[in-house]
Amino acid sequence: MTDTSVHRRYRSHIDVWHFLVDNRPELWNEAGAHARLVALALLIAVPPAVALGVFAARRPRLAALSVGTAGVIFTIPSLALFALLVAPLGLGTAPAVAALALYSVLPVLRNTVVGLGEVPADAVEAARGMGMTERQALWRVRFPLALPVVVGGVRVAAVTAVGMATVAALVAAGGLGDSIFAGLRAGDETEVLAATVLIAGLALTVDGTLAAVEHRLRKGSALSPRSSEGRRP
Amino acid sequence: MIRYEEATKRYGPGPPALDRLTLEVPAGETCVLVGPSGGGKTTALKMVNRLVEPTSGRVLIDGDDVADADPVTLRRGIGYVIQQVGLFPHLDVAANVATVPRLLGWERRRVDARVDELLELVGLEPATYRHRRPDELSGGQRQRVGVARALAADPPVLLMDEPFGAVDPVTRARLQDEFLRLQRQLRRTVVLVTHDIDEALRLGDRLAVLATGGRLEQYGTPAEVLARPASPFVADFVGAGRTLRRLDLLSAAAAIAPAPAAQPSSPEGPTVAPDATLADVMAALLTGDSDSVGVVDGGSPVGFVTVDSIRAALRHDELARSAENSDAPVELEG
Repeated sequence: MTDTSVHRRYRSHIDVWHFLVDNRPELWNEAGAHARLVALALLIAVPPAVALGVFAARRPRLAALSVGTAGVIFTIPSLALFALLVAPLGLGTAPAVAALALYSVLPVLRNTVVGLGEVPADAVEAARGMGMTERQALWRVRFPLALPVVVGGVRVAAVTAVGMATVAALVAAGGLGDSIFAGLRAGDETEVLAATVLIAGLALTVDGTLAAVEHRLRKGSALSPRSSEGRRP
Repeated sequence: MIRYEEATKRYGPGPPALDRLTLEVPAGETCVLVGPSGGGKTTALKMVNRLVEPTSGRVLIDGDDVADADPVTLRRGIGYVIQQVGLFPHLDVAANVATVPRLLGWERRRVDARVDELLELVGLEPATYRHRRPDELSGGQRQRVGVARALAADPPVLLMDEPFGAVDPVTRARLQDEFLRLQRQLRRTVVLVTHDIDEALRLGDRLAVLATGGRLEQYGTPAEVLARPASPFVADFVGAGRTLRRLDLLSAAAAIAPAPAAQPSSPEGPTVAPDATLADVMAALLTGDSDSVGVVDGGSPVGFVTVDSIRAALRHDELARSAENSDAPVELEG
């Protein structure tokens, strides 16, 4: 009994590998579509979320209201949100991207507000005291200092979206969800596993890349106006 | 020249943060606002560059009410060293120092030259420090960069809020010395806030002693404040060591007595120059065997200082100062 299950699991690893190799072009396409959904959603969601965060950072009531609202959206089950959006937007990419964008607002908005709130007060005061306008203080001091935290928010949003985009297959938006649901319907465990491995891989790649950006920003080296020149004698 | 006229700041009911402050800081002098916390020192300082607006009264720079100036333009013309330095952590030393020149739109070559000049001025080798980040500097180096940044656009007025507060005592003493050297060289009108009376006495041409509730207790030179504290509060704040501190401010020349009978005309034993402080003389008296210390000016003996002549000099100084301020309220302890 134990022997057989070990044997079967061992075999299924091999199967997943074979499946990945045999269906490379198809899976590649699905992964591409998957990544595209996520990228589109972020492109749509991040700029307004950051803008709202910047605007709300100095307005505590607006910040509480907007972060609260985004939080409520975040708690709507993905299946329900996708279904809700099919009514106004029809099937296909539109409702999928819209849903992912809505989910992405919360982490980015919240991190923008938090990041700006965490900027050292003495740096902000120095900026004002030396004669920066509010706008200059924002773009030269406050936002650059908050940027690593903002990128951290984008990172959470992106990883979340990679996972949630799987469900987008149900509204005919494509992506790796297609393989998963096809595998489930056909009882093909191998196909489900293969697609899952790819989704996890995609999530890890996105996470790793943005983590590297965040780290670089935190070290500050990317922000020096003269970072190209030697920093140490 | 900076002038406060009845400048008052209230935050809600209760005693004001600053209560009808009236004083004048002559151009090129250092005015130290000193007192315990809650005395409105920082409030008064920030009124100059309009980070705080007075509830009533006004502040004038060279006769112009700062309230009439555009705050952004005003601030670019005033050097500001804030508490905890407040360097921009994401920018290197050069970019920090260049902040105001860049805001003013100087061309890059001029900015670079100015940055190097300033770093040299505050004792940081430009080639070594230009591209360091604030977190790669020691506390003392950060303070220097803060001062360089404040001086960048050559402002006639400099505001310093506890500028040497965040460093160890040894570094602080060195920074204070450098400040005095810089100020002798640059002659800016400086308003400096500190809660440390020793720092105030050391750095200030004038001291404004502020008490809780934002009341100005006394405004005068360090020697005046030490010799004639205007109120029990000031006497208490200046502390029991004030007589010893006064010795730092008087020179040997002020206490020269005729040669004591017992002494030969040419001094043996300890000698000092006429511009030595009486504190140095006192140290020489206490460590030597002699009851008097010779004063020698460029090789030729001028006279002697004894404990009695020091006592007389202090008394004379006190009388002279009370005559100067005969209209000022004088209330001495005891």
